[in-house]
Amino acid sequence: MSEQTTSEVQLDFEINGRSMTRSAKTHQRLLDFIRDDLGLTGAKEGCGAGECGTCSVFVDGKLVKSCLMPVAKANGTKIETIEGLTGWGGDLTPVQKAFHKTGASQCGYCIPGMVMAATSALRENPRADLEEIKERLGGNICRCTGYTKIFEAVELARDVLSGEANATVLDADGAGKSYIGNNVRRLDAPSKVSGRLRYAGDMVMPGMLHMQVLRSPHAHALIKSIDTSAAENLPGVACVVTADDVPGEDGFGVFVHDQPIMARDRVRYVGEAVAAVAADDALTAARAVSLIKVEYEPVAAVFDSEEAMQDGAPVVHAYAPDNIVKHIPIRKGDVEQGFADADLVVEQSYDTQAVEHAYLEPEAGLAYVDHDDVVTVISPSQNITHHRHMLAKIIDRPINKVRFIMSPVGGGFGGKEDMIYQGMLALAAMKTGSPVRLVFTREESIISTAKRHPARITYKMGLKKDGRITAVSFRMISDGGAYGLSTEGVMRKAAILSCGPYNIPNVQIDTYGVYTNNTPSGAFRTFGAMQSQFATESHMDICAEKLGLDPFEIRRINMMRDGAITHTQQTLGSVSIGRVLDAAEQASHWQAGPVGMRGPQRTDLGGDDTRPPCTLGARFRKSGDDDHQEVA
Amino acid sequence: MLTCDRYHMPTSLAEALAMWRDAPDGSRLVAGATDILPWAREGRAGNVHLPAMIDLSRVAELNGYTVAAGRIRLGANVVYQQFLTDEKLRALMPCMPYCAIWFADDQIRQQATLAGNIVNASPAADGTPPIFALNGELEIARLDDGAISHRTIAVSDFIKGPGATDLQPGEIVTAVICDTLEGYGGSFQKVGQRRSLVISSVCAVACIKLDDSTGTVTDIRLALGGISPVPLRLTETEKMLTGKQLTRDMIVEAARLPAELVASRTRREYRRTVVRGFVEAAIEDALADCGSALPNAETRETANV
Repeated sequence: MSEQTTSEVQLDFEINGRSMTRSAKTHQRLLDFIRDDLGLTGAKEGCGAGECGTCSVFVDGKLVKSCLMPVAKANGTKIETIEGLTGWGGDLTPVQKAFHKTGASQCGYCIPGMVMAATSALRENPRADLEEIKERLGGNICRCTGYTKIFEAVELARDVLSGEANATVLDADGAGKSYIGNNVRRLDAPSKVSGRLRYAGDMVMPGMLHMQVLRSPHAHALIKSIDTSAAENLPGVACVVTADDVPGEDGFGVFVHDQPIMARDRVRYVGEAVAAVAADDALTAARAVSLIKVEYEPVAAVFDSEEAMQDGAPVVHAYAPDNIVKHIPIRKGDVEQGFADADLVVEQSYDTQAVEHAYLEPEAGLAYVDHDDVVTVISPSQNITHHRHMLAKIIDRPINKVRFIMSPVGGGFGGKEDMIYQGMLALAAMKTGSPVRLVFTREESIISTAKRHPARITYKMGLKKDGRITAVSFRMISDGGAYGLSTEGVMRKAAILSCGPYNIPNVQIDTYGVYTNNTPSGAFRTFGAMQSQFATESHMDICAEKLGLDPFEIRRINMMRDGAITHTQQTLGSVSIGRVLDAAEQASHWQAGPVGMRGPQRTDLGGDDTRPPCTLGARFRKSGDDDHQEVA
Repeated sequence: MLTCDRYHMPTSLAEALAMWRDAPDGSRLVAGATDILPWAREGRAGNVHLPAMIDLSRVAELNGYTVAAGRIRLGANVVYQQFLTDEKLRALMPCMPYCAIWFADDQIRQQATLAGNIVNASPAADGTPPIFALNGELEIARLDDGAISHRTIAVSDFIKGPGATDLQPGEIVTAVICDTLEGYGGSFQKVGQRRSLVISSVCAVACIKLDDSTGTVTDIRLALGGISPVPLRLTETEKMLTGKQLTRDMIVEAARLPAELVASRTRREYRRTVVRGFVEAAIEDALADCGSALPNAETRETANV
């Protein structure tokens, strides 16, 4: 960014029924203004690019994405935010109550935007049917619910608002004798459906500084020098922190403490934090970041996990010259004999890709040193106690002088287990004596945080003609990326669950987590099981086809039963796979037969329970009978 | 992040043109601003600082639309949502509701303008192929010695390539002018990564008028987007089908030719396959939209629309 003055725009507007006159910075978006200047944090910034809808507000009665609206456009308008739906201090609206009733809020981060979109949908068409509701909520993304409970809530609210249903349907159901099988009200739902709940990025403290981070453009490079002087001299900058500011023993990770708070002497992936600036505002901090000069010397990098295991491959961490983070071997029976006894041996490899968690809440944290010298970090950390212990060592303070406070987690899915930014915040708070807040952009969240491990699985299975499995060899090589994070645990879980719920006499399992210069991989829902089950279940289908067996049948032949002993020597008192298969077979209206039977012969495709293809245009559907309005 | 020194909101065209003439180099015109804000982010343009932004959304002369002699003049401030909510517009431009419903989402459509979409000249723009099909022109204003003068240019001449247009310094697009096709059936097909919020990988538009008594095609308009640097009007295919009573086989045959026109640098084979299906679907859906669905047409989107 060039040198610049920042001028202001004058705004006269009405917000949630109150008239206001304010000035705003020209570069602010409406979202920045209502959150930062007016303190109304119900609208969130999930992406900043109009993709997610966490920022939806009404402007002159029309719902818009406030991250896509320069604030000057709000001059002379009437704005309504989630806080305004209830009126100041008022009761929840029927839409909000319906979201509470159906359990539509989980992490809650998308919910203020969802409630706004639902409110807009029903204002535009009070009789909108399910398809139209889906369409009108199309600009809002939820990562937790799968939308079903949200749509249920909107339909419920529609019926109450139109008088078709009595308002009492929004009340809590009577609690049964057991929580199991009964709807339990979420205690935190009112705070979420009203937008009152404050996530870390919504929190402010007096004198708070704003942090921005300089990240590596290189996958693998030596840091020859870092010159922060120009950044430090920029007016408004309070401090710049680098690895040199770490007073204690640097290094964190869920299993192996191989990751420094900020890159130390070397960067190992694109997006790794190299330095951070705390300044009076985020814009100044961003300008200061652009003034930091880092001299890099790029070195050979490795991007493929199998290549990383070869002799002579670039070494990512000196302590692991073979680039192996963790190898988990499991042996049971005699695999060679098992293959020799088989009528059929099927070999196949399976690849899975990296996946981003994409929680709606990008990482955010607020750190301060309190009046008793306690270094305090507030963040949506999924692992605060572990973080506290690691940070105490890193900043060389006794454990009673380090506190972690877990803010509401706007979606985690395993992606917020790693302490990748809390250390920078603590260092800046210690260096300045001021509270410091960091809020990731969506791009930053995607580039710098852990992903699901990409895996390459080589599967070899021996079977008898009747479908019985005689042996399995399972070799999984997972790309752990530049740092260890949860890789060790993921490899353990993948190995434990590798062969699925099947009783296999002879087993040879090897899972490897490998360092590369890719984005680090970490914890992600299922923790390694997804990759191995994708391979196992695909392989079962392939074997069933080769043997001419029904896919359900081959699974029933091999499934564990009550009292089974797993390949890790655990005795299972009860095993539910048989019931699961029965339920899946019934629910899918499966037509028994080998998998090769497809096309016109099949009668179980496209039934009532099948999701129809994506369509749009519900609001101008041209059907004859309808009570549906022609124009929305 | 997008920053600027000055943000202007002129209320008249004369004021806007004067501001634009006097704006420092590197200044930008904005309408809905729904494209420029996501553009100025990491991974695209990064941090962008502009000397001035001139916001046209309050310029009174750019609002609304007028109809005369088989043409409609859509002010540059007409937003996408109007093609869904304005019954008259829907009748006059029968392909536009189908285009609009696939464009971004309800919220962005409240801000995003058709004119802005065309001026951005993205090969993936949803709005440009329909305007090609409707023989669209742009009305452009500038100041000559302090007086406002206008010129018009065909949209197909205006768009020079990805992001490149014929817009000259000091000029502002004031309207989109195109044919009104009342009584036609319209349709729009789009492939993107998901249902809402995405640009097209490939899109196709069709408008068809049938003779009331014979059922033959009296006029047909076909255009494709996303397959070449600028959208394509399928004039050969149009000629092939005009005057005919359409059959399924005829439509399948007509869809072969456009697939050969795919010139995209990426995913060319995929786009060729899609284009074939899209041209068929666009024609069939447009027939269904004017109440003359083929008895043996494949079940496509309109089955649910």
